[in-house]
Amino acid sequence: MTRMLFVVGVTLMSLAAAPQQQGVNPFAQAMVDFKHRVGEYMKLRDEITRKVPEVKETGNPAKISAREKAVGEAIATARVNAKPGDIFGADMVGYFKQILAEDWKSRSPADRKALFNELPRGVQIRINQAYPSTLPLVSVPPNLLAMLPMLPETLEYRLIDRYMLLRDRDANLVIDVLSNVLPQRDR
Amino acid sequence: MLMRVPYLVSAAALLGGLTSVGGLTSIGGTATEVVVAPAMPSAVTALQRSAAPPAPATQVAPPVEKDSVRFAIIGDTGTGTSSQYEIGAQLTQARQTFPFEFVIMLGDNIYGSERPQDFVNKFEKPYQTLLDAKVPFYAALGNHDDPTQRYYKPFNMNGERYYTFTKGNARFFVLDSNYMDPTQIKWLEEQLSRANDHWKIAYFHHPLYSSGEKHGSEVDLRTQLEPLFMKYGVDVVFAGHEHFYERIKPQNGIYYFIEGGSAKLRKGDIRKGGPLTANGFDTDFTFMLAELGKDAMRFQVLSRNGKPVDAGTLQLAAEPKRAAEDKPASR
Repeated sequence: MTRMLFVVGVTLMSLAAAPQQQGVNPFAQAMVDFKHRVGEYMKLRDEITRKVPEVKETGNPAKISAREKAVGEAIATARVNAKPGDIFGADMVGYFKQILAEDWKSRSPADRKALFNELPRGVQIRINQAYPSTLPLVSVPPNLLAMLPMLPETLEYRLIDRYMLLRDRDANLVIDVLSNVLPQRDR
Repeated sequence: MLMRVPYLVSAAALLGGLTSVGGLTSIGGTATEVVVAPAMPSAVTALQRSAAPPAPATQVAPPVEKDSVRFAIIGDTGTGTSSQYEIGAQLTQARQTFPFEFVIMLGDNIYGSERPQDFVNKFEKPYQTLLDAKVPFYAALGNHDDPTQRYYKPFNMNGERYYTFTKGNARFFVLDSNYMDPTQIKWLEEQLSRANDHWKIAYFHHPLYSSGEKHGSEVDLRTQLEPLFMKYGVDVVFAGHEHFYERIKPQNGIYYFIEGGSAKLRKGDIRKGGPLTANGFDTDFTFMLAELGKDAMRFQVLSRNGKPVDAGTLQLAAEPKRAAEDKPASR
């Protein structure tokens, strides 16, 4: 309930903060635009994956990693000019940051410490980079996921260092990055 | 009104004459109690310390019931180090006495790089004998696992991050606790609400309850999952992530086990005197064996040296089997 109220609160704040067309909820519009951008990415992805043979279950992990690499490279090539925020969207960045900040505030000191313990540090992340296989995929808190906009199954939010990423799960590819969204460790 | 309440009734029977070894952790070569508080005081025979010599793996207790579901539990396995191979050898040896049909993996199946040779060195070779014997493994994803592991046939995930399977009178719910999104939670509720199986077992990587100093309980995950487990009568939950063995005191009628020490070990990480621990072991690598019978789950935990670490029986109270929808909302 608290979290629902928070989302409502975010919506109301946004109504007050930004100039708007009459009858248009800017948060709702930003959400529509975000979903549209995700949809565009999925269209591109579908075109690419149609050309790369699908891997069903196999006992040969080489086939799995080869497909992951092929899909990742093809997407990176197709999005070679992608910049941070291309999918998250300038109009949504504030909302994402606010959701993350609110989620952080709601956590106990022990919970924060546990999350910090898990987050890899000193990592530079860029778009079109394969997520490093030597780093853990830190669990994204379910209560945070419940507040973030839903994504198609193949995409996921990930937290690493102070970043939030959009990751293409089966391509193991970073497709967008939000920087400095998590607090510094000494706070 | 609680209809099905698992409770620990006996430990000694499973230890085949050994009175016990549970509740011990070795610190600098000496044994000290972690916690000896009984899990449920009215129904528990607490494990006592014993001066008995270390038991070899050949003293694994055999199954008790004829048509029971028998399985092994390992977690945080994929290191490719000697400890993983030693546990693999212990599993093979234990299976001669306790012929488990399958193995569940609690995540972190492949640490570090996931090249084809890593699947060989960190999974296929350590468990070669079991794989040769056609013992199936059913994996959950950990935070060190690339989700594409779900396409790796020997993990039997059917290409899914989360899935369910049945064995005899038991249904297993295998979850991806790295990414518990609303879609997965909805799926879980649908599956649980449909399940009429006698036993409902859930497993995944991150523990809802833990006495680990480094990680501790996953409170966020607990707020999402525990209400469903209670509502739909999940009996037992297994998790890994913490690199030790811990049996948690029953929480809302549900038994929780942590078995994340099958190839990684965080020595001394169990908080001493913590309120959650029914039994804990954080000084050597471990694996579990379990048997789901008509109304009881028997479990035993062994170290890589074949020493019994914990054992017991969770007894379900007699209950006429009812449709899941008719079950009470709480247990």
